[in-house]
This record gives sequence, structure tokens and C-alpha cells, in this order.
Amino acid sequence: MSGTLTGHPVLDPRHAPPFPIAALPVLRNPQLRKNVAHATNMIQTKRARLVAEKTDWQELRTAAAAIRSHVLEDLGSYLEEFEVRCTAAGGKVHWASDAVEARAIIIEVLRQEQANEVIKIKTMTSAEIQLNPALEAAGIHAYETDLAELILQLGEGEPSHFVVPALHVNRSQVREIFARRMGLKDLPDDPKALTAAARTYLRQKFLTIPTAIGGANFLIAETGSVAVVESEGNGRMCLTLPRTLITLAGIEKVLPRFQDLEVMLQLLARSATGERMSPYTSLWTGVTPGDGPQRFHVVLLDNGRSSILARPVERQTLRCIRCAACLNTCPVYRQTGGHAYGSVYPGPIGAILTPQLMHMEFAQSLPFASSLCGACYEVCPVKINIPQVLLELRSQVVNQERRQPARFGDLMFLGMKTANAIFAGARRFRAAQWLGRIALRPFTRKDGWIHSLPSLGAKWTQTRDLRGLPSQSFRQWWVARGKEER
Amino acid sequence: MSAPSLSRQLILDRIRAATHKLPSEASVAAEQLRSYIRRGKLSVQDRLKLMIERLREYDAEVVDCMPEEVPAAIGKQLALSGRRVFVAPEGLPAQWLAAGFDWKIDRGLENAEIEQAEGVVTAAFCGVADSGTIVLHHSNSEGRRVLTLLPDWHLCILYANQVVETLPEYFDRCPSPSPLHPSYKNLSLGTPPLHPSDKDLSLGTPPLHPSDKDLSLGTPPLATYISGPSATADIEMTRIKGVHGPRFLNVILVRDEN
Repeated sequence: MSGTLTGHPVLDPRHAPPFPIAALPVLRNPQLRKNVAHATNMIQTKRARLVAEKTDWQELRTAAAAIRSHVLEDLGSYLEEFEVRCTAAGGKVHWASDAVEARAIIIEVLRQEQANEVIKIKTMTSAEIQLNPALEAAGIHAYETDLAELILQLGEGEPSHFVVPALHVNRSQVREIFARRMGLKDLPDDPKALTAAARTYLRQKFLTIPTAIGGANFLIAETGSVAVVESEGNGRMCLTLPRTLITLAGIEKVLPRFQDLEVMLQLLARSATGERMSPYTSLWTGVTPGDGPQRFHVVLLDNGRSSILARPVERQTLRCIRCAACLNTCPVYRQTGGHAYGSVYPGPIGAILTPQLMHMEFAQSLPFASSLCGACYEVCPVKINIPQVLLELRSQVVNQERRQPARFGDLMFLGMKTANAIFAGARRFRAAQWLGRIALRPFTRKDGWIHSLPSLGAKWTQTRDLRGLPSQSFRQWWVARGKEER
Repeated sequence: MSAPSLSRQLILDRIRAATHKLPSEASVAAEQLRSYIRRGKLSVQDRLKLMIERLREYDAEVVDCMPEEVPAAIGKQLALSGRRVFVAPEGLPAQWLAAGFDWKIDRGLENAEIEQAEGVVTAAFCGVADSGTIVLHHSNSEGRRVLTLLPDWHLCILYANQVVETLPEYFDRCPSPSPLHPSYKNLSLGTPPLHPSDKDLSLGTPPLHPSDKDLSLGTPPLATYISGPSATADIEMTRIKGVHGPRFLNVILVRDEN
């Protein structure tokens, strides 16, 4: 864990090790794997039950995918429409082309508010732009108010899931963190007492800190409204009590109409937490006199999104509504949890979103962190064909490697080149088969399997076995069979 | 900070350059798009039964009564709660302010005063049976948002004719006043929100709070959809009731005369 200015470590794809290396410590940590398995199983079971209850689930997915695709096709107009409506309702709309700009805008607003503290709703975009360390450097302390985010902030841990960020932490670990940071020596470890401790700890903050930062689940173009979906009520506190509210939202979050929520809200909670609806959905429009914050800022964040929009296969990535159903179902994520992805967006969606947000300059190992089983596509409420995008990104990564001058020193590259030449001719192929049989014989056990190979071959055998080559190829068998019959 | 208008133009230019050169993906026919269930099929009685069932599943307490029994039912629920100090929105019908309790009417109460109250009583805009959701549009009888947030105990009065079966039926009660975006219309994503023949859709007479100007149809500037009391499952997926919002949600469902 690498500390930062706040002591709250940040998952940064620019500095994260490649996935296979980052995954190793997790795979060797049985407690962590147990916690992740427990949480993902639990959500999956609840989700499956509630999805089965919806007889029109597939129709809802179709509608949601169509609405989200439509928005992306005309994103410019919808953003402008949102800006006009939100401004007319008393909101102030800012545009941030990258993380640096978004941080600067937010800090500038907070300076004008003379804020040295701010309360926060769980906001993935704020983690994406690494807002908390920047705030801290500017002398502004951010209080995370979502229970899981609070656990991570006080425990200086990293989120491993974007719906239930602390799913890798168990109750006794939470107890230890709260007891230490809140000064509650006799705190028991039952979740009820821990939750009550968080309620007490945050109550005064809600009532006294006049500035809040949050995200958006949806921006409604036709009304200029913003929707936030949450469970605990910390969101409602931050959206209602402060004098000033700042909403940081990705530009892709727009929906054309208020009515489109009828599709999205039926899909979101069922997919995310296995609930029919999350306990609280809040919707507000600019500023309402006498009710809630009287100063409202929206920061629309691009930060790489518009470049994703330009690419026909990858564009669907931006349909995502961040339900995390793909994480819970992914056989890779379920083994590793989120940290191995080195990004605030882990799992299958993170494997396609993260490298794209990094303009394919970092996180290139992530598109390979998948078995391409397609489970993510099946559960996605907006029908993002994640395996298709993974394959597209893999080919881009391979093309990048192809252009690197260092490739001639790379055994894998030379091996592939050789294989290419061998597969190109029947005679060469037969010769290679014959050679391979002889070369592999010493490594093949009596059960017909190869358990360990030296050098490059170890890349395969360190994680799986290899079937030994049969004594006869299909062609040899076919020829021999013909002779016998005659 | 770089010039804000420059970033705006930069982002919009990037978006336009990206969307301009790509072919439209829209290939799904309109009827297919809206083929999910918009209208429920249950009888009125079954719809109310489902509403009660779903509310209870999320730990909300539900009782029902006839319209003339509302004040008495409120008094009984307040007494059962063992609480004494309640806040009420300004537009709450006067006969709902049961005698024997300490009422603070919200004419601009301070947050600290609301925080000290032990409970709150409000009306609602709508109930969605399918998900057990209470919809507040924060009209005069539903109260400002903070009213239903700080007190630990919320009693909500919901009328039978406010209960719809599906979420889309609620959205039909909030038809958009603005014209459709041209390209959206081309996609025919939008069905006309109100079917004049559909009697179910008419709100009928406003349920008991005629002083409520905000009850007029249209998209709400403020809305809160409540599905059970505040909850978390952040610690080992164990569902804990009551983190920051009210820990107790109580509903009085007012049945029709027939």
C-alpha cells in the first residue's frame, strides 16, 4: 500500500504493476479471498432472485441499452440541453477536460466558499481524478460519509469495488479501525454497533460542515435535474443540509428525459445490490429556494471519455451505469478482488474502461485479465459487450508491442514469429510436430500430462497443466487407417 | 485555472468530432424499445396488498384505515411510537395534527430544531407497489427534504389512489412539459405519456391537500424515492437498518370508500 498526502492511498493506473504481478499477493491472502468471495456470492444470490422476479428483464435491458446508445450518439446536444436547464434553475455548470482542470475548478469553488472542510458522498469520478489528496494539499479536509468509504479512509485502505468499496474488509478489521480512529476502546465487532458508531461520528459533520461534494448517477437533459441513488442517507444529508453543493459527473451520465429513469431505476438497484430499489433515490434541479443548498455547481468531466466516444467498438463502454454486476459475476475478479486492477474501476468494466481513460498508455495488462467467458456481458443491464471490447483492446495492445524496437530481444515475440513461419507450411508443421514430440517426451508424465516446463514454457505450466503430445498426429492416424482398410 | 469557456468548447468539439463520423447504432424498432411492462395487471386490492407486502419486506411498518379514520390512525401510531415531539410540513391538514403531542410546524425551522424532533408526519405523492417505494415530491404537505431526513421516525400517509403497480406508471403521472428532442423523437423512444382513455392515470381529486399547488402534474424539481428505511450492507453484507436517514418508516395506507 502506497501512502499519499492524505494517508489515503490511491489506485493509480500510472504506477500500478501489471495485473498478473499485482494479483499474486491477493491470491496468497486467504482472508481477503474469503471476504471477497462471501460478498460477491451474497450480492449474486440476491441479484439472481430479483432478476428472476422481473419477467421483462431482457426488454428492460434492451430499452436501457438503446437509451444509453442514443445519448452517446447525440451527447453534445444533450449536454448543452442539460447546461441550459440546470443554469436556468440556478445551477452553475463547469466543464473540465481532464483531471487537473476538474480538481482546479473544485478547489477554486471551495476557496470562494472559504471551506477548510468538506463532506463527501461516495463519488467514483472523484476517486478517478484523485480529488482527496489534491484537497488535502490545498488545506481542505474531506470527510467521506459512505460507511464503506469511511472505513477505507480511516483505515487508510483502498477501495476494491465501486458499489461496496470495503467488501474485502471484515467486521473485526472494521472494529479495529473504528476503535483506533474514533477512540472507542470498548466497541464490539457486531455490524450494528459499528454502523451506529459511524452514525454518531458523522452526525455533527453533516450538521456543521457547509460544503459537500457528490457525484451523479444520472443527469437529466430535459429538466437539468441530477439523480443520486444510495442506501444509507448520507447522500441525502450531503444533498440537503449544506449551503453549497458540488456535483462532479462524467459527461456520459446524461439521460434524455426524466421518464428514462423508469427504465434505469428498475435495472440499477437490482443489478448493483440485489434490491428492487435502493432505499433512497434523490432528484434535484438547480437550486430550490428554502430547500437544500442555495449554491449548486456541476462539474462535467471529460478526462478521456470523448476519445472513447470516437471509437466504434469501444464506445459502448460509456453506456455503463456503474452497477458492478460484472465484477460480482467475473471469475477473475472473484478470485482477486479489486486491488489487483490498480484502478478505481476494477473488474471487467474496469479492464476495458481504465486503459481507455489512460489513452492506452497505461494499464495495458488489464484487457488480458479475463477468461472471455462472457458472464459480464450476460449480466450487464445496458448490454455492454465487454468481451468484444476486451478483444479489440487486446489487439491494440499487441499492435503497440509490435511497434516496439525492443521486440527482437523478446522471446515471446521471436517464438510467435517462429510459430507463424511453422504454421505457414504443411511440411514445416509436420517437422515441428515430430520435433515437439521428441522434445516434450522427457517432460510428459505417465498420466499423459506435462506439469512443468522450463523457460518460456513455464509461463503456461506455472498456472496450468499441458496435455502431452499424442504419439500419433491426426494426419498420421488417418493415413495409417486408410492403409489398414485397403 | 484555465479559461472555463475554452474547456467547454474543447470538450464539445471533441464530442462532435467523435459523434459526427460514426454511424448511428439505432437499429432497434420503437415498439421493441418500449416492450417492457409499463402497465400493471393487478386488481386494486391485489395492488394494495403487494404495496403492503413490499413495504414490510423492507422493514417498514404498515397499517391501513378508511379515509374518515385517518386522524385517529395517526394518533394511534404516534402513541405507539412512544415519542412526543413531532415536526410537520406546513401544508399538512390540520386535522392530522393529533392532540396530545408536541407539534413543530415547519415555517422555516432551523436544522437543529428538526434534528431534535423525535419524528415527522407527511403526505406522499405516490406509492409504487412493485418496489414498495414511497415517492415524495416535497410539496407543502410532503415537506422540505430535510424534514423527512433528520428525525429518526417517519410516518407517511398514503392514499389508495396514489398507489400504482409499476414504476413506469408513476412516471406517467409526471408527464414532461418540454417538447421532445428532435433526434429522440426520430427514435420514437417516447410514447405519449398520458393516454386519455386510461382512467387509472388520472389522479382524480387531489387526495386531501387542496392547498398544495405543487401537486400539479409535470416533472418534479425535487423528488425523493424511499424504499424502506435507511440501510447499509457495507460490513460483511449484513443488512443494518438505519445509518443516517430515519431508522423507522411507518405508513398509513388509506383505503377508498368502496
